[in-house]
Amino acid sequence: MGGLCTRLLPECVLLDPLQQDKERVIRQLVDRLASSHSITDPDTLFEQVMEREKLGSTCLGFGCAVPHARTDSAGTTVIAAARLNPPVSMDAPDGEPVSLVFLMAGPEKSAALHLRLLSKLARLLHSDSLRAQLCEASTAEDFHQIICSRDD
Amino acid sequence: MKLLVFILNNEEYLEEVLEAYVEAGVTGATILDSEGMGRFLAYEVPLFADFKDFMKGNRPYNKTILSVIRKEEIIETLKTLLDDKVGDLSGPGTGIMFTLPVDWVSGLVPEDEEV
Repeated sequence: MGGLCTRLLPECVLLDPLQQDKERVIRQLVDRLASSHSITDPDTLFEQVMEREKLGSTCLGFGCAVPHARTDSAGTTVIAAARLNPPVSMDAPDGEPVSLVFLMAGPEKSAALHLRLLSKLARLLHSDSLRAQLCEASTAEDFHQIICSRDD
Repeated sequence: MKLLVFILNNEEYLEEVLEAYVEAGVTGATILDSEGMGRFLAYEVPLFADFKDFMKGNRPYNKTILSVIRKEEIIETLKTLLDDKVGDLSGPGTGIMFTLPVDWVSGLVPEDEEV
């Protein structure tokens, strides 16, 4: 299926930004998407992602979260990622702080693709070795390349 | 001999479906409560909680009917009867029916002792 590698650009990967909390992380990821892709209304996208968070946690466990929204602000489905060190509390059901965040935004009409990509990300992030590799990536390009290497 | 599997999405038709089974000559079946993947994901897995609208129109719960069919001609008869009762299964959200070959069986009640 592929699809993660081309939708997550290296410039949309944030490594170890300082002084974080959940809202700041999501806001920064939305801004990265907006600067690299045709996101017409980043403020609305941010509000939609935060609204989606109220429905239920997007934390997968293992210190990973995949906040997401379907929005008319996005022309196509795109992804941004952040590695957080130290990890940040994102109200995970397991109570663990989060160190890997993938924000996904896609058009309303692409629900099936959105579901497939979410499921694929969830599967990949269940891998101990992948998470360890991502936590040790030295640059955004490395981080991106690690995702690409698993994006079969 | 075949295993006939029918996933009936509209549970309201269950009685009529079973009547069709009996009329077609199916002498026994097992009915399981089941649920669709979409319902489970949207309501039980928080990551997919925002996809409830995506499954609108789908029926969350369904019935799965299992039956071992000795005479394969029964399946054609049954299909005709079911088309009349629940409609063409190619319509979305109606159901799925398929058969699998059965090469061994134990525990089937002889036909003349069933029903």
